[in-house]
Order: sequence, then structure tokens, then C-alpha cells
Amino acid sequence: MTKLLQLLGLVNERLALAAGLLLLLSVCVTLFDVIARPLGLSLGGTDELSGYAMAIATSWGMSYALTNLAHVRIDLVRARGSEPVRAWFDAVAILSLAVVAVTIAYRAWPVLEKSIKNGSTANTTLETPLWIPQSLWMAGWLWFALSGVVLALVVFLFLAGGKHAEIDEFAGTRGEI
Amino acid sequence: MILFTSGGLFALLALSIPVGIVLFLLAFGIDMFFSPFPLMRGLGQVVWSSSNSATLIAIPFFVLLGEILVRSGVARRTYAALEAWVSWLPGGLIHANIATATLFSATSGSSVATAATVASVATPQADKLGYDPKLFSGAIAAGGTLGIMIPPSINLIVYGFLTETSIPKLFLAGLVPGLLLALLFMVVTAIFCTIKPSLGGPGIKATWGKRMAVLVDLVPLLGLFGTIVGAIYAGWATPTEAAAIGVAMAFAIAATQTRITWEMVRDSLLGTVRTTAMIMLVVIGAYVLNFVLTAAGVSRALQEFLGNLGMGALATLLVIVVIYIVLGFFIETLSLMVATIPIIVPIVEQLGYDKLWFGILMIILVEMALITPPVGLNLYVVQGSREKGPLTDVMLGVIPYALAMLAMVGLLILFPAIALYLPTTL
Repeated sequence: MTKLLQLLGLVNERLALAAGLLLLLSVCVTLFDVIARPLGLSLGGTDELSGYAMAIATSWGMSYALTNLAHVRIDLVRARGSEPVRAWFDAVAILSLAVVAVTIAYRAWPVLEKSIKNGSTANTTLETPLWIPQSLWMAGWLWFALSGVVLALVVFLFLAGGKHAEIDEFAGTRGEI
Repeated sequence: MILFTSGGLFALLALSIPVGIVLFLLAFGIDMFFSPFPLMRGLGQVVWSSSNSATLIAIPFFVLLGEILVRSGVARRTYAALEAWVSWLPGGLIHANIATATLFSATSGSSVATAATVASVATPQADKLGYDPKLFSGAIAAGGTLGIMIPPSINLIVYGFLTETSIPKLFLAGLVPGLLLALLFMVVTAIFCTIKPSLGGPGIKATWGKRMAVLVDLVPLLGLFGTIVGAIYAGWATPTEAAAIGVAMAFAIAATQTRITWEMVRDSLLGTVRTTAMIMLVVIGAYVLNFVLTAAGVSRALQEFLGNLGMGALATLLVIVVIYIVLGFFIETLSLMVATIPIIVPIVEQLGYDKLWFGILMIILVEMALITPPVGLNLYVVQGSREKGPLTDVMLGVIPYALAMLAMVGLLILFPAIALYLPTTL
């Protein structure tokens, strides 16, 4: 179980790095646009592409923040409890997260489905077929849902086995960045 | 419905469920119990349109800028330079703490990273010169909070996005109150250290020659700040474009101070993605909750609620201020801001206050949240960096600065022009 979660953490780190590089690329494109604009060389559509980059980097980063325990939790009551009590708090938290993540992924599908069915394109000069950014975006939320469900299942297995220290390690709290 | 929303908010937060998730759960609950038609069918569209935003991408850009600056080692030289300029004041190096924290947090945009960085640079000096640790560390914790007020500020971007307020205008509005607050911190320090010199310590005697010589070390951060803010105000660049320019400049600054390695870039990118996802889960959650509250007719419910209370606008505003101070003891900056915006900002607008002005007022209140125990992150960060002495030292040390913030809240309510003058005249 511990191995599985460590692997999940590793995969998430790779994905986050990819998302980070996408953001860095977006910085470069924006910079190019700023510099080229006075010269009349502007690409056009930078705003649109930045928006897609943001949506995609956000959805793919969710999972990394999850395995890094970076999603902010208010630790006030939880911190007063003993180790088993804290483990129950963590279990409730990860279960709620998994439920919400699955709901978002489920509700994200119709957005993509509609774009595919109608062949929707962005209302811009680029006329981007919307299914391209939306499928990458949706896949990120799907991965977040999957990570959430896996983590929740493992936490409940740990809970049944009384492995409270492991729960704290993989689903506990850390300070806000 | 208001009771359901606020009661549910606190109950779920107390269960230590992640803040962003709590906001989604509340939205689901309101949709289920109060809405005449199913709103959550549109959830996917709301999530897509809120995160597909060329405005919000300024957030990861500014986070990345800060990640690079923190790793660049520029803080040390900045501190040494400011030390030469301000440590002749009563309170000595404490003024250098405030000035460095202000400048560094303004450019890096992160209060916590600033507190950690400045504390690690300043603490060895305090030991060497025999400073009383209380005011010394309190000044770092408090000074670090100024970054979320002085532009560029991620918190102001989030506020602008959620309340549909112009971000460049918010940036303009935050400038004077932010600098004024820094000045107020220095005045408070000087007063305390004049009354009781043992709170401070010796300054560093610097000749004018030395002062002029170290000015060059202030160029990186001042240049970065000036470029970002200047480009936005002059209308050359959107906040997003200015942030991209800032990232390039941060790389350039880092290159002059240290060797840029792949590890450094990788760590900066990972930190950026982590922080961005953390912020965005809360922001998207608030956006969804906002959408549901509006669609379910909460504004009407709020109007009735306020009408029944029968309080004046000012009295209601003061109640809101007190609520923030109390909540600030337990909840941290961004979560506090974002979780309350959907409920509080419509009330404030209903009372006839300017939401541009209220954004700045709210920022001061959430700044206080960063340094008020038991949950005041900057306290722990500063304590963590100094690695000795009791935490109560830092807690006692921030009291004068928390009082200065309260004074600033009062000033802002009495004289709204402090925030509104620049955005209305420029």
C-alpha cells in the first residue's frame, strides 16, 4: 500500500513538472507577445492560449498538491485530538475530497462531449477546436478524481489496520505555503 | 439559507476538510436544498470557464517569480543595503527587517516565503548584536504580511477575479495603504524603542559613502518592482504580461547572484504548480459557490436579512470587521478571504460601500490573520527560522504591529481616499 502511494506521489511529481513547463512556455509566449507588439509582429491569440494553459496546468496540478498535502485544511480541532482521532479526521477529509473530485470529473465530461458533438471552435481568430484544450483539462480532473479515490481507499484500509502513522504521512496536514 | 451557509462553512472547516472542497460541498448542499432547479448540471462549465482565464494565469507567473527570487539569494544583499540606510533610527536593525520584508514581499508576492527568507538573513545579526528577540522577530512576521497588499499581489488578483473588480485599479488602491502601513510599522518601532531602548539594539554606523555604495544592491528588487508596477499603470501591459516580464527579470537577477541550475528551475516549477493548484482549488470552489448563491437568490435573502437587522451601514461594517478579526485567529489569509467573499462582499455592496475600497480593507484584515495566534502562519515560520527561544517571543513581538494594522483599518474607514485617491485620479 505504501509502495502504491509512493508511486502515485512520484507520478504526480512528473505530471506537475510537465504542468510547470507548460506554464514556463506560457511565460515565454506572453513575453514574446509583449516584445513583438510594438514591432507589429504580435502573434495574436496569446490570451486565449494562456487561458488554456491555466486551465490545464490547474487541473493537472491538483493531484500533485493532493499528494504533497498542500490543499489547505483548518487544523484547529484536529490538532487537539490523539493519533487515532486525527486519523479519522484525515479519513473524513480525504473521503470528502474524493467525492468532490469525482463529481467535478463527472460533470466535466458534458462540457467536452458537447464540444466534440457540435465541433465547437473558440470564438476567436485562432478558431481553436475546443475539444483539444478541453480534453487535456478534463483528463487532469479525471486523474485528480482517480488519485483521490485511490488515496481514500488506502486510507480506509490503513484505518482498518490501525496504521495511524501512515495515514498522517500520506493524508495528514502541513502548513499553508 | 444564510444560516445554513455560514453554519455549514464552519462545521465543515472544523472537520479539517480541505477549504476548497468545503466550498464545493456547500455549493452542492445549497443546490440540493434551496435551488428550484438543478444548478450542478452546469458545474463542469463553471469549472472550465473559471480556470480558462488569461487573468488568473498571472497567479502562477507571480508565484514562479517569487519562487525564483527566494532561491536567488538576493535577500541577503538587500538586507545589508537597507541596514546601512535605516538602522540609525531608534530600534536599529528592526527597521531593516521591516524595510527588507516590505520590499521583498512586495516583489515576491508571498508573505510566508518572505518571513522565512528575511528571518534566516536577519537572525544571525540579532544574535551578534544582542537584540531583544521579541520586537525583532515580530517585525519580520508583520513586515512579511505587507506583500499581499503592495502590488503585485496574488490576493488582490483573486479578490478582483471573484468580485469582478478591476485588478489594475486594485493594485493602485493597495499602493498607498501598503506603504503607509510599512511606515506605520517603523513609527511604532521607533516609539517603542525610544520609550524602552532595551527592546531594540545598536544600529550599524554607516557613512554616506557606504550608503551610496550599497545602493546598487537595491537595484534588483526596486527595478523589478518599478518595472512590474510601472508597466501596468502606464497601460503598457496587463497584470499577466507584467508578471511574465517579472519572471524574466527574476531569472536575470538570479543569474547575477548565483548559478542557475536545473534543480533550481525544477524546484521553482514544482513549487509553482503546488501553490497554484492549492490556490485554484479554493478559488474555483469560491467561484462555484458564488454562482450557486447568486442563482439561488441569496442576494435577496441578504437584503431581507440586513433590513431585519435594522443596523446602520457603519455599524454593520464594524460588525464585519470584528468578524474578520475573530475569524483571523483561526483561519489563514487566502482561505479566509476566498471563503467569505461570496457572503460578505454582496452585503458590503448592499450597504453602499465601494468594493474596490473594501478589497483593501479586507486585505489588511487578512494580513492580521497571518500574525494572530493560535493560527498565524508567519509566527510559526519566523519561529521555525530562528530555531531557538519560545514561540511566545514572536507572539508578543507582533502585538505593536497588529495594533498598527488596527489603526490602519480605522484610518481607512475614516478616510477612504487613502485607498481610492490613486485609482480615481489616475
